[in-house]
Amino acid sequence: MTPTIEIKGISKFFGNIIALKDISFEVFKGEVTALLGDNGAGKSTLIKTLSGVHKPNEGEILIDGKPVVFNSPRDAAAAGIGTVYQDLALQPLMSVSRNFFLGREMSKGLGLDFDAMNKITREEMAKIGIDVADPDQAIGTMSGGQRQTLAIARAIYFGAKVLILDEPTSALGQKQQLEVIRTIKQVRDRGDLAIIFITHNDLHAKLVGDRFAFLNRGKVLASGDRQTIDLDNIRALMAGGAELAELEAEFENG
Amino acid sequence: MAQDERIRTRSFVQRSLERPELGSIFGLLIIAAAFMVMTASSGTFSAMWTNPVGIQAWVELAAFVGILAIAAALLMIAGEFDLSIGANIALAGHSFALWLLFGWPIGLAILFTFIELALVGATIGLIVVRTGLPSFIVSLGFWFASRGVAVFMSQTLLNQSRLSVKAELKPPAGGGEDPTWVDNVFAFDKAFGLNFDAEVYYFIIITIVVAYVLHRTKWGNWIYASGGDPVAARAVGVPVARVKIMLFVFSASMACLLGVLTVMTSGASDPKAGDFRELHAIAAAVIGGCALTGGYGSVIGAVLGAFIFAIASRGINFVPFIDNNLFRVMLGLLILAAALLNQFLRNRVVKG
Repeated sequence: MTPTIEIKGISKFFGNIIALKDISFEVFKGEVTALLGDNGAGKSTLIKTLSGVHKPNEGEILIDGKPVVFNSPRDAAAAGIGTVYQDLALQPLMSVSRNFFLGREMSKGLGLDFDAMNKITREEMAKIGIDVADPDQAIGTMSGGQRQTLAIARAIYFGAKVLILDEPTSALGQKQQLEVIRTIKQVRDRGDLAIIFITHNDLHAKLVGDRFAFLNRGKVLASGDRQTIDLDNIRALMAGGAELAELEAEFENG
Repeated sequence: MAQDERIRTRSFVQRSLERPELGSIFGLLIIAAAFMVMTASSGTFSAMWTNPVGIQAWVELAAFVGILAIAAALLMIAGEFDLSIGANIALAGHSFALWLLFGWPIGLAILFTFIELALVGATIGLIVVRTGLPSFIVSLGFWFASRGVAVFMSQTLLNQSRLSVKAELKPPAGGGEDPTWVDNVFAFDKAFGLNFDAEVYYFIIITIVVAYVLHRTKWGNWIYASGGDPVAARAVGVPVARVKIMLFVFSASMACLLGVLTVMTSGASDPKAGDFRELHAIAAAVIGGCALTGGYGSVIGAVLGAFIFAIASRGINFVPFIDNNLFRVMLGLLILAAALLNQFLRNRVVKG
């Protein structure tokens, strides 16, 4: 089976800074690839490269086995990359359905087709497990987890084949984090989407991940699927691994 | 789909409490009631509220300020600001009068004045979106420059400050094009047998059209989104820069409309025309519930705000026991009270 998206030897340089070096991994449909890494590991650069904001200096991106080149975020979106950024790109004072269709409104005659937009919003949100109480409600009244779900539902509805979730659990409370994990599981189980789940929480990654890649200082340090990867080792790496051991030694000797 | 148990049925009253124009509805009722009581107790009730000339006084002022307030409200919802509206009224009036004095046919003079002012608006908009300078600063520059250009055109070029075009607006004695046809199709004062200036009819039309665009079309969605969170709006494909430039063009065009109509009604262009009107328009928009931070507000609110302004402004002349000079004090307190009330109401929307 060809992976929905395959990243082959991607490197990205900013002047003399090596932001990404020789990154490779693949994501199949119906699967979640969890991309783990601490702050500064290169996660944001990688997301921006995959969503067409940056062009890689080396390597290539293949979608359904065909190499693609993105000159703009628009190209990436057209190729089926749906990126849900941390800030979600939502308007808190606008209604749920207006947010869902913002920039891609449905019109009927001269005006907007509110009935159709409300109906689709409710249906799409219900598909991934959230009943929208009232599509006319301002988004500011929704919980962080529900907003995350809305942004995901929107990306899917507008044709994403590959869903990139940028730290979807990081700014949320415990309960809402789990709500989002459940949403990711639900989207995974649809079976038609490839999901890249970026996180620095290895517990969350373990809950829904099928494959794992651990990013550190611009490189993939370890990768594998559930069978081959040692998640405890990943956890140690996440916690600082080598640096931690060094510090420990330093304290003991000092 | 099964009925969701979490749908809260909110009553009409609860839903109404979340509308941005709510504060201004209360405000208008209070101001109107207050002036009715005060005029009644000074024996001037009929002069202000039933006499056609009295009604005309505040309705025409509301229309004038209201047209500008609609433009100001749209810009504020999109997160921008235009201080140059008042000065652009003078610029438009002077430009129009100059073209007439140069012997241009009136239709062409109006068309050219609109093109000039649209270019002024587009320039402000382009500077704002390209440089990222606050529109407060950019339009402050044009607040000085537009009026300066108007004064320069009249005093330096023609050595007079007021440009009288009474003769140019009358049918020429020796035959030729009769300019009064424009009066009938463009400046249709006293239409439908009512004794109002054309501003009043334009005000009604513009209110209906803009309210529809803002609340029922994708352009309205984009205006709200451009002010609410421009980065997020751009991320989902809203042409934020284009939206903002168009609103600056609209704002300058509304100033142009009023400038030209004023000249046609009064027969002369005054370089002081529209002085302070930018602040009156912004005051009406704020009273009507627009947030300076963008993303929130309504056209109906701005319209009601303009009526509040006009009733207070004209009404004070009908109440002998309040000194006219206290009008600005009253307006100042009104703006503060409205802003506080609106902030309270806005917080309710976000917190449910």
